[in-house]
Amino acid sequence: MTETLESLFEPIRLRIAAAESDDDLRRIERETLDKGGAVAALLAGIPTLPPTERPLTGKRANELKGAIQAGLAEAKERLALRAVERERLGEGFDATLPGARPTRGGLHPLVAVTRELEDLFTSMGYVVLDGPEIESDENNFQLLNIPPDHPARDAQDTFRCDADGKFVLRTHTSPGQVRALKERVVPAIRAGTFAPPFRAIVPGKVFRQETTDASHEHTFHQMEGLVVGKDISVGHLIGAMKTLLRGVFGREIEVRLRPGYFPFVEPGFELDARCPFCKEGCSVCKRSTWIELLPCGLVHPNVLRNCGVDPEVWSGFAFGLGLSRLVMLRYGIDDVRLLLSGDLRFLEQF
Amino acid sequence: MHVSRRWLARHCAFLQNIDAAELARELSLSTCEVEGVQRFAPALSDVTIGFVAERAPHPDSDHLSLTKVDVGSGELLQIVCGAPNVAQGQKVAVATIGTTLPGDFKIKKSKIRGVESQGMICSERELGLGDEHNGIWVLPSDAQVGKRVAEALDLVDWVLEIDNKSLTHRPDLWGHRGIARELAAIYGKTLEPLASALPAQGNAKPYAVRVESEKCSRYLALPIDGVKTGRSPEWMRHLLLAVGQRPIELLVDLSNFVMLDLGQPNHLFDRARLRGEPIVVRQARAAERMQTLDGVERNLVTTDLLICAGENPVALAGVMGGEQSKVGAETRELLLEVASFDPACVRRTSSRLGLRTDASARFEKNLSPTLALEATGHLVNLLRELQPEIKLPAPLTDAGKWKDPARKISLRTDVVRRRLGVNVEQLSDAKIVEILQRLELRCEGRDGVLTVDIPSIRATKDLTIEQDLVEEVGRIFRYGNVPEARLEGSLAPPPPDAKRVLVRKLEDRLAGVGRFRQTLSYSFVADASLAKLGLSELPHSSVINPVAEGLTRIRRGVAPSLLAPLEPNRRHSKDVRLFEIGKGYSPDGANEPREVHELALVIAREPSAANAKFDDNAFAFLRGAVDDVCFALRLEAPTYTKLARVDGAPYLHPGKTLAVRIGEREIGWLAALDPRVERELGLAGELKSDVALATLSLDALVATPTREKIYRSLPRFPGVKIDVALALPTGVAAEDVRVALERAGKGLARDIELFDVYTGPNAGPGRKSLAYHVYLESDERTLTDQDSQKFLQRVEREATTLGGELRKA
Repeated sequence: MTETLESLFEPIRLRIAAAESDDDLRRIERETLDKGGAVAALLAGIPTLPPTERPLTGKRANELKGAIQAGLAEAKERLALRAVERERLGEGFDATLPGARPTRGGLHPLVAVTRELEDLFTSMGYVVLDGPEIESDENNFQLLNIPPDHPARDAQDTFRCDADGKFVLRTHTSPGQVRALKERVVPAIRAGTFAPPFRAIVPGKVFRQETTDASHEHTFHQMEGLVVGKDISVGHLIGAMKTLLRGVFGREIEVRLRPGYFPFVEPGFELDARCPFCKEGCSVCKRSTWIELLPCGLVHPNVLRNCGVDPEVWSGFAFGLGLSRLVMLRYGIDDVRLLLSGDLRFLEQF
Repeated sequence: MHVSRRWLARHCAFLQNIDAAELARELSLSTCEVEGVQRFAPALSDVTIGFVAERAPHPDSDHLSLTKVDVGSGELLQIVCGAPNVAQGQKVAVATIGTTLPGDFKIKKSKIRGVESQGMICSERELGLGDEHNGIWVLPSDAQVGKRVAEALDLVDWVLEIDNKSLTHRPDLWGHRGIARELAAIYGKTLEPLASALPAQGNAKPYAVRVESEKCSRYLALPIDGVKTGRSPEWMRHLLLAVGQRPIELLVDLSNFVMLDLGQPNHLFDRARLRGEPIVVRQARAAERMQTLDGVERNLVTTDLLICAGENPVALAGVMGGEQSKVGAETRELLLEVASFDPACVRRTSSRLGLRTDASARFEKNLSPTLALEATGHLVNLLRELQPEIKLPAPLTDAGKWKDPARKISLRTDVVRRRLGVNVEQLSDAKIVEILQRLELRCEGRDGVLTVDIPSIRATKDLTIEQDLVEEVGRIFRYGNVPEARLEGSLAPPPPDAKRVLVRKLEDRLAGVGRFRQTLSYSFVADASLAKLGLSELPHSSVINPVAEGLTRIRRGVAPSLLAPLEPNRRHSKDVRLFEIGKGYSPDGANEPREVHELALVIAREPSAANAKFDDNAFAFLRGAVDDVCFALRLEAPTYTKLARVDGAPYLHPGKTLAVRIGEREIGWLAALDPRVERELGLAGELKSDVALATLSLDALVATPTREKIYRSLPRFPGVKIDVALALPTGVAAEDVRVALERAGKGLARDIELFDVYTGPNAGPGRKSLAYHVYLESDERTLTDQDSQKFLQRVEREATTLGGELRKA
């Protein structure tokens, strides 16, 4: 055996050093270690050698095999590290490519705003109540101190469901007051479990028989509020309304009460809020710096009495917030008809 | 209602000097809603008083005049004038160059038939003073040349527009005197007395009146002789114009003026044309007819109230007079009627006939019968001022069983403070008394209990109980002076509200994980939509006075509302996913309609490719979404069984409709849309869609018991994942295969996931291939290859039982 391991390995080492890819390494591995490769050739020559040389040659072959394997492993690691370094260069990266487009669902803006208000009111101990869209004339009008032939019925533009006038599409969420009094307050008072003040809100869909345009709808959403307790006063009403506005606009908003006539409250008010959008008058407040926000008042003693609550003992306040209008104000929606259109181009904006 | 400041000042002179915007604000804060403030005929302040110094015919026209007008500028203006009544020596209103008249009409230097004209001599109409356009407006001869018309003739006026709705409960505010009374109270002033005492009457036989209906509580009739007709005085014309009334002729104008002044409608009959005495006030007879003074023949019903002369109807009580006896140019003898009619009766007649008049609007508010006498005297006195020679030949007839509504209400000052939320320092008893007295509510009393006299005009409606007086005090005290107060009470949490929690979870899950858009719809469904969905024949709750024809019916469920917007939405979107939580109603005889509260979901998307995966379609997505919401609600996994049809939903695919159940409880349905209905809805051609829809009942969901999630220990021994493919007859249901695999797993099959369904030609005729990932796992030991082999052997047997075989990998 004349050749040293070095002389045998040197050409292979050079090949390994020159390898540029895992494929190159595999080729070298195949050509050196597989059948017909350098190591195999060395082993194949052994029988022709004189016996004294045979052990040394066998040893050489194994050493060579070990050296090749070690060389290949080292080269593989080197190539892997080089690849990582190349990746780290971030070649061809376009920082401006857009992200994958997500498909999104979403809540209806009316629901989103209603939920905010529900959360605000429930945090103050109000319960959220519900009532039917088709309501009896009794609940919608009579028990609310609006007898038949009352001129206040004019302002309500009522959809009537039958010629007898027994059922109507509720013209406001105020029958929610009637139901709350009859179904919650009266039973609690009778059972001795009444824990005043009773606080409730009733969000819902309401209907008016009127021609539609960008600012008028025959179907819209309101939220009634009702508080009943001992000595509930106009001061409490003002306090509750200021809290409501702080919740909606996130800051202190000046309010004012003006007399307003609604047969189910006495005294009745229109509540104006200082326009949150301007200081000197804008299109939203019609240049008055006040926005007419909601009707409210102290519950009329007749309503309490009609529902079985003694007005000498209990008093309350009620308000009716226009949810549709509030949503339009909040998002700057200029056409009320979009709210119930089911148009995805509208819904997808929220 | 329009209110003129100048008119108000007739009742309270102080008001003339208050800025109109301030009056509006004060009224808004204490009394009623003022919607706007307008300057009356603003052009009057822009035109100048001129003197027609010369007038000559226009050289080139036979109807135009050429005038030289002195407007006090030192030189005469040459003005071409087309009015026939222009004459030398007149004082006229001149719009000089640069003036803008109503209608954005700007006066420029111009040439008319070749002659230069340096302005315009105006008619009343051109200045916004009514309809008079017979010629130029000739001003009084003492008008001062060169002054502005409005200021020189004292015509400056402001008009407040009051929202009628805010006066619904205040019959006393439907005239200027009422509004003036409010303002006097706000400012602490007193009202001028009203000359309403009736002058002496002759002693001829009083006019006979017979009131047969209790719908007329008082009927005053007074003959007036020797009246002349003609143009009303300028002051009256201007006040009427200011509040939007067209002056017509003195008698008509006077009648209107008194109504707008005191709020009491009245009627003047031409006595010579009233055929028949006595005046009879009675209900109309069936099929009776009369012609109202607008010339329309009216069909009457028995609830209408008529004024008749003998047998002949001469007026529709409280609504409108009759054509036949109305005053005209030749009228000399009047019968003045001032009456009190039942508000509901007037309201019913006027709304039935669609005849809302100034009179009916006032009567339906419930006027005090005492106001009738006041208005009678006021009208006669006004007429006498204008025509001192009129005669009252006979005493006033006062018929009807009226009662003075004046009353007393007891008021506890403590209740006032408690209701308002103020203390005695803020609002003392003395202050309360002072406020009441400013409102002409006299009171007396001690120890905090007042007896308040309610005058007749306030007693018919809005002041009936103690709380009404709380409002009277509060609105003059001003609510802005009430301090903000906090509610106080126990801190017990409100009772749990399962349905609201459910609704929130559904909304959040569907809008989040489900990627659905929430929508809200009308409760009305158009007849045309119902027809497309095959729902026309079903009984619906409906309205009898719809906003549009074919929009009477109320939805029975939510799903139909989601179908209508599919076609327009598909135009813009490949994948429409909508949900709505809402209510539906169905009639139940004379009872309250039955309500359903439900969730409806719809997916409408481009049809998937022919080789799409088995779960790449609307139906599978929707079923997945239903599974997911049930999971999110912590319900048991729903099961689905095929239904032939869903009652009330004929628009569903007859072969692809499933009942959704949790345990034994049916909670809703899931279906593809009937392909016929798809076409009807316009989902064809480019908009051809793959549509699935579902409805879940909220009430059923709320009633379904939830399961708490229970933690299961993590696996201690590794399991094995085995893929199996089964070749089966096409009729075999996937669920049966899943059950078979579960059986083959002998309790070790932790998860069985179908990942491919192949029904193509390579499966062979009548065959399909189902492929599953099955994960076997044991709590007791590590599973080995032997377990897999045994499992596959059992699967092979199960496959055979199902009429197919296990396909070898």
